[in-house]
Amino acid sequence: MSRLRDLALPCLGFALLLAAWEIAGRVLGGALLAPPTSVAVQFVEQLGRGEMLRELSGSLRQMAIGFAAACVVGMPLGALMGRSGVADAIFRPWVSMLVVTSTAALIPLFILLLGTGLMLRVTIVFLASVWYITLTTYNGARGISAQQIAVARSFSAGPWQIFWKVTMPALYPYLLTGARIGLVHAIRAMVLAEMFVIIGYGGLMHRAGLAIDTAPLLGLLVTLMIVSLALNALLGAAGRRLAPWYEQQRVSA
Amino acid sequence: MAVQSKSVADTLKKKSGAGSSFTGFAGRRLPIDRRLLSAASVLVVLAIWQWGAGHVSGFILPAPGDVLGRFLDPKWLTRVASAFGQSLVQLGLGFGLTLLVAVPLGIVIGRSRVLTRMFEPVINAIYAIPPVAFVPFLIIWFGLFLQARVALVFLMSVFDVLVIMISGSRDVRKSLLDVGRSFDASHSQRLRLIVFPALMPFLFAALRVGSARAINGMITAELFFAAVNLGAIMKRATQNFDSATVLAVVLLICLLGLAAQSAINALERHLLHWHVRPA
Repeated sequence: MSRLRDLALPCLGFALLLAAWEIAGRVLGGALLAPPTSVAVQFVEQLGRGEMLRELSGSLRQMAIGFAAACVVGMPLGALMGRSGVADAIFRPWVSMLVVTSTAALIPLFILLLGTGLMLRVTIVFLASVWYITLTTYNGARGISAQQIAVARSFSAGPWQIFWKVTMPALYPYLLTGARIGLVHAIRAMVLAEMFVIIGYGGLMHRAGLAIDTAPLLGLLVTLMIVSLALNALLGAAGRRLAPWYEQQRVSA
Repeated sequence: MAVQSKSVADTLKKKSGAGSSFTGFAGRRLPIDRRLLSAASVLVVLAIWQWGAGHVSGFILPAPGDVLGRFLDPKWLTRVASAFGQSLVQLGLGFGLTLLVAVPLGIVIGRSRVLTRMFEPVINAIYAIPPVAFVPFLIIWFGLFLQARVALVFLMSVFDVLVIMISGSRDVRKSLLDVGRSFDASHSQRLRLIVFPALMPFLFAALRVGSARAINGMITAELFFAAVNLGAIMKRATQNFDSATVLAVVLLICLLGLAAQSAINALERHLLHWHVRPA
């Protein structure tokens, strides 16, 4: 019974949203808000035309470069800051300052520095996600219990063994959480940068916004939502597969 | 063996000693003051930057001295101050609207099991869409000026606050409510004396995250709609290849963000001295 309710209630939520959207769309008209029925028709057509998916995969590939760089820099930096007081004192002022710096404000500056090509988008995605990854890893590294390390040491584990056998497994859930949070910011930054310089998927959205009918624009939004949810689910599934203790630790964390 | 166990004891002692000076910190006590080290780090980077900027053209990489110099120019400063004031108005309107909508809504949804099950997936799905993607819509609905900017500030902060408030009100400890019930507290008393105080830490978390997002929304709106206020100053400076001015505005926004964070933290320490936030 409760199993059924757990499934039925979210469906009811989505049904209510779609119904409200449909009614609002019918009342306001397609120029202000296209109803879901016409968005669905348009969506199928967009999928068939292929332009949307082509731009999307191009944009995602560039985002992946920036996001990967953010992981490569942010995770070791966070771990280092969490385990070493000196590193913490040195890097913390910069990280806490840069994490509150809005990415949008940096775009004009980086257009001056890098132009509007690949490097701009990669850099913006990198800067938008790296500090969140760093801070999440940092919090995880700080939380590793001294007892665990003491136990490893009393079994005469060397620093290298302690790192791989104690620190890394304890850090793992935080690395994944950091990657998930970072990914949200990376996707946001991708759209932000592309809409600013009108290129790629963001440029497609900008052009769709100029059209009379809002259905294509909503189709692009829905695609973006699906991609974002799918990537997030993918990271979650990867986490469960690579480290089954992930879920359990995340709940307790 | 003896050496080993001694080192463990030492480690444990060191950990507990460190715990008293900076709580929960895993490292050893530092030989010098942390703040001194942080200040040195900032100064060293600024010095390298100043030195490096001297070797490349000024419009590619402005020296920190030039950026700070902008703030000493009284004409520029008055222009920026008035633009900044205008920016704060839309920030206040948008974020105020967010709090007005998201805090009560989050509490209502979070306190009800059925509503949480029903709407949490919907909220997460909409939350997954980057808010900037709604900009074309906001232009259609609200035009290019103040209304659209307020709407974007609202849109960029509302879901963050909503998500935190829902999870906060869902997790009010049942044991606390049971104590209230066994002392025969009425429903409104339980709400006023137990639920709301238990929610306060989450409200501050929502304020911290939400204000950062709202400031982000403020400058995004000024750059994406008709460029006004700080956004207009940045755009004009970009067209003139005046990166020192652009960086000065970025610095200003950054300082606003830091000031908001520390003001909220100070307020939390003052109001919620009973609550120890896990570091």
